[in-house]
Amino acid sequence: MINRRITILGPEGTNVYVIFQYLIFCVISWFTLFNITNEIGLDIQNVLVRQITFTLLGLTVFFLFTYVSISNIFALSNVLMISSTILLIGVLFTVESLGARRRYDLGVFDFQPSEFTKIAFVIFLAAVISQKRNNLLGLALILSNILLVYSQPDLGTTIILLSVVLGMYFISDVKLKTLLAFLIMMFVSFFILLEFDLVSSFQVQRITDFYSAEIQDFSQKQSRLQISLGGFLGDNLSNTENISIFVPVQTTDFIFSSFAKSYGFIGCITLLFLWIFFGFRVYSLIITTNSEFEKFLLAGFMILLYLQILINIATVVGLIPLTGDPFPLLSLGGSSIIAVSTIFGIINRIFIENNQVI
Amino acid sequence: MFSKLRLNVIFLIFAIFLSLIFRELFILQIINNDENTQDIISQNFETFYIPAPRGEILDLNGNKLAESILEPYLFLNQKKINEENITIYKQFISFNFNELTNEEIDNFFNSQELFVEIANLNEYETDLRIKIQDYEAFQIFNQPKRTYIYKDLFSHVIGYIGKPNQNELIEYSNAFGNKTVGKNGLERYYENILSGQPSEITLQNGEIIEIKPAVPGKDIQITVDVNAQEVVKESLQQGIILANKSFDTVNLIERGAVVVQKIDTGEITAMVSLPDFDPNQFVLGISEFEFKKLNRTQAFNNFAIQGLYPPGSVFKVVAYWLAVNEGIFPEDASNSGQYVNCEGSLSFGFDDGSKQVYQDWKPEGHGRVNLSEALKQSCNVYFWDIALKIWRTFGNTDSEAMLQEYSKELGFSSLSKIDLPFEKEGVIPDRELFEDWKISKPELVRPEGWLGGDLMNLIIGQGAITTTPIQVSNAYRALLTGIKSNPYLFNEDLNINEENINISSEFINFLLDDLNLVTNPGGTAYRSFQVMGDLTYDIGGKTGTAQNAGDLNNTSWFVGVDSISNPKYLIVTVVEEGGSGSAVAAPVSRRIIQYLLEEDLTPVEFGEITE
Repeated sequence: MINRRITILGPEGTNVYVIFQYLIFCVISWFTLFNITNEIGLDIQNVLVRQITFTLLGLTVFFLFTYVSISNIFALSNVLMISSTILLIGVLFTVESLGARRRYDLGVFDFQPSEFTKIAFVIFLAAVISQKRNNLLGLALILSNILLVYSQPDLGTTIILLSVVLGMYFISDVKLKTLLAFLIMMFVSFFILLEFDLVSSFQVQRITDFYSAEIQDFSQKQSRLQISLGGFLGDNLSNTENISIFVPVQTTDFIFSSFAKSYGFIGCITLLFLWIFFGFRVYSLIITTNSEFEKFLLAGFMILLYLQILINIATVVGLIPLTGDPFPLLSLGGSSIIAVSTIFGIINRIFIENNQVI
Repeated sequence: MFSKLRLNVIFLIFAIFLSLIFRELFILQIINNDENTQDIISQNFETFYIPAPRGEILDLNGNKLAESILEPYLFLNQKKINEENITIYKQFISFNFNELTNEEIDNFFNSQELFVEIANLNEYETDLRIKIQDYEAFQIFNQPKRTYIYKDLFSHVIGYIGKPNQNELIEYSNAFGNKTVGKNGLERYYENILSGQPSEITLQNGEIIEIKPAVPGKDIQITVDVNAQEVVKESLQQGIILANKSFDTVNLIERGAVVVQKIDTGEITAMVSLPDFDPNQFVLGISEFEFKKLNRTQAFNNFAIQGLYPPGSVFKVVAYWLAVNEGIFPEDASNSGQYVNCEGSLSFGFDDGSKQVYQDWKPEGHGRVNLSEALKQSCNVYFWDIALKIWRTFGNTDSEAMLQEYSKELGFSSLSKIDLPFEKEGVIPDRELFEDWKISKPELVRPEGWLGGDLMNLIIGQGAITTTPIQVSNAYRALLTGIKSNPYLFNEDLNINEENINISSEFINFLLDDLNLVTNPGGTAYRSFQVMGDLTYDIGGKTGTAQNAGDLNNTSWFVGVDSISNPKYLIVTVVEEGGSGSAVAAPVSRRIIQYLLEEDLTPVEFGEITE
C-alpha cells in the first residue's frame, strides 16, 4: 500500500462529494424537525437541539472512520460480529419499555444495539463472501443475531437483516438453487414458529389485517392525510392556511410524512433523487474498485440504506404494514445517526483509497 | 466472485419499488390534495391532560414528608353526553354520590372541560366501579393526590400546591397539564424538579385514540430532621404559652420562629414558624372562612425567612468583631481586655452642642466591664462608647459607615439565598438610606437625617435596623467559621456560593469563649440554662431584647451554640412580643440544645428578665 499523507480531514483530504451529501441530509432533517416543533430553545429536551447534537456526534464518527483503513475493517469483521452478538444478548436483560427490550439507557440518549448489528452484519458478510469462507460458525453467528433481534421483538429490523443476507449472497456467484432452498427453509421455519406460538399473534394479525381490511393503521391513515396536505409545492412555499394534523411518532418513524407536508411533491422528488444520485456514485465505485471485499461492503451498505429508506417511505405512505424503521439521517435518533455516519465514513474511506477524490 | 449482473437486478427491484412510491406520492399530493384537505379539516382532535405524580419529599433519614399517591377518579366524557342520555347520567350521579348538590351536578354538565372530574372513587364502595362500566361516558383515570404526612409540622418548609394563576402558567410549562403548581416553600422553589410531565390523552370525536403516559416528578431528600423539627416546634409552642402567661400584653403573643442550622455546611436541620397551618387543607380545598382566619394570624408567613425584626443585642457581635478587628474600644480602653466603668447611663455631647443621656437597661450599671464582660452581661454603655468613638473619629467621612460595612459583610440587609421563595432582606440603616427616606418615608426619620444617636441605636440592634432569623443564623455562622454561604434545604440542585471572610481562628475561639460566658453564672442567659448543670460549661449563646414602638412588647431573641469545644449547630429563636430574650427565647433554645446533645428534655421555664 502507498504511504498516505494524513491531513485534517483524513488522508489526502476528504471526499467532498460524500461529506457534502451527508451534510445536506442532516440539514434537511434539522429543517424538518424545526417545522414540526417550531420552537427554538437551548433545552436538551428540544428535538432540534438533540438532533444537532447527534449530528455533531455523527460527524465525529464520520471522520473517525475516515482514518480507519479498509484492511483494518476487514480484520475486525469477526470481532464486530461477536460484539454485536454480546450486545444483543445484553439488551434482553434491560428494562422493558413500550413492550420491547431494544435499548440501553445512556442518559442523554438510548443506544439501540440493533443499529450496530446492521453495520457489523454487512462487514462480516462482505468478509465471509469475498473470502469464500463459508463455515458453520459464521452461519451460526448470522442466524443467532437475526433470532436475537427478532426476540426483542423487532420485526422491522429482522426483515432488513434477512434481506441484507439474501441480497449479499445473491450478488455473489452463489447458485440460485441454494438461495431458493434457503428461502423455502425460511418459510417453513416461520410456519413452525407460528405453529408453536413463537410468533406473537399480534404481529401476524397486524400483517393480515393490513391486507384484508380496508382500514389501515390509524397512524398510517393520518400520515397519508398529512402527506396530501403538502400538495405540489409544500406548506413552506405555497402560502396556504396552515392546517395541522395529529400524527403519532412524528419526529422519528413518521418524519417523512411531515417532510412531505412541508416541502411537497417537489421536495420528496428532490430528496429521493439526492439519494439516487448518491447511489449512482457508489455504484460506479463498486464497478471500478478491484477489491472484492470493498465491492461486497459497498453493495451491502447500499442494500441496507435503500432498504431502510424504501421500507420507511412505503410504511408512511401506507403501501406496507407498520414496521417502525427510522429514515436514515432524517429521523430523530442518536443510534440511527451514528450508525449511518459510520457507513458514510467507511464509504468515504473507500473513495479515498481508490483515489476518487472529486 | 462478485456478479455485476445480479447487483443490477437488485437495483432494478429497488427502482420498481421506488416508482411505486412515486406513484403513491403523486396520487396523494397532486390528485387527492383537495379532497384530503377537506377530510383533515373535518377531523376533530382534542387533548386532555391528567396530572403527573409529583416527586416525594424525604427528610434527612428518608422519612416521607410529602407524597403523591395515584387514586382512581371518575370522569365524565362530555362528548358522549347528548340530550337523550343526559338525564340518565344526572340521575346516576345524584343517586350514587349523595354529597353532591344538584347545583354541583348541573355544573358538571355545563363544564367546558373535555372530561369533568366527578369524584375520588376510593371514597366509595368498590361495587360502584362495576356499575360504572355500563355507562360509556364514564371514564376512570388514576390521578395523583398530594399528601403532607406530617400535616402542619412542615407547613412553611414544604409549602403547598394550588391552582396555577396566569403568571405561573407561563413560568412553569407543565403547570397547565398538572393543574397544580407549587405555591410556597420547597414545593415552589423546586417546582421544576418535583413536577412531572402530565399524561396526554388525545381524543378524536370523543373517542380516546392515544394515551401518552405521564412522567413522574423527581424525589428530593432534604436536610431537615423530623425528630428535631418536632422538638423545635414543641419548644417554641411552650415558649409562646409561657410568654402569654408572664406578660400582660395588649395582643395575643402567637408568632415566633426557630432556625437550627449546621455550622459546618450551612444546611438547615429544623425550621419552624408559628402560627402554622395544615397544607393538606389546600389539597382537599380550603374554605374561604378557614383561609381568612389563617391569613389574619399571618400563618402563611414563614417568619424564619420573612419575619423582619430589629435584632437587639444579638447584633452586638457585629460591633464585637469590628472592635477586635479595627482596635476601636471605648475612650478609656485600648484593648479588648481593658476594663471601663459602666454606671448605668451614658451622657455625651456632640459637636453641635447637643447633650444627651442614654440609659442602660440596668440602672445601677454593670460596674467594671471589658469586651468579654460587655457581651456576657449585654452592657449597652460599652457598645455605645464604641459607637461614639466611631462617630467622633470618622463621622461625616467615608469610613463613617464602618459598622454598616461589617454588618453587610456578614449578610445583613441582603437575601441569604436559602432555597425557599419569598425571602425578605431587611434593612441596615445609614446616612444614604435616611436621605432617601426623607423623601419616600418622611414619617420614619427626623429632618436632620443621620445622626450619632442613630449609630448608637444601630450598634445595639435597635432603631431602623431589621433582620430575619435566617440572616442572624447565617451571620453567626460566618463569624464562627469565616465562611459565608447560602443556607440550604436541598443541596443537589443548588449552586452554593462560598465567600471567605477574613476571620482568624484566634478570634473564633475568643468569640466562642465569650458566648460561653452568657450561659454561665453572671451571664444574661444563665438562669435559663441552669437546669443543664455542668453542661453549661460547653454551651454558648447571646440574648437579645429588641424594643418595639408603641404598646408592643419587646421581641425576644436568642442565638445558641450547642457546643463550644465542638460547635455543630446554631439555634436562632425569636418570639414576637415575647419580652426579654433571656426570659423566653433562651429557655426555648435551651430545650432544643438539650435535644441536640441527646439530653433529657425539660420543659421551657421562664428565665430572667434582663435588658
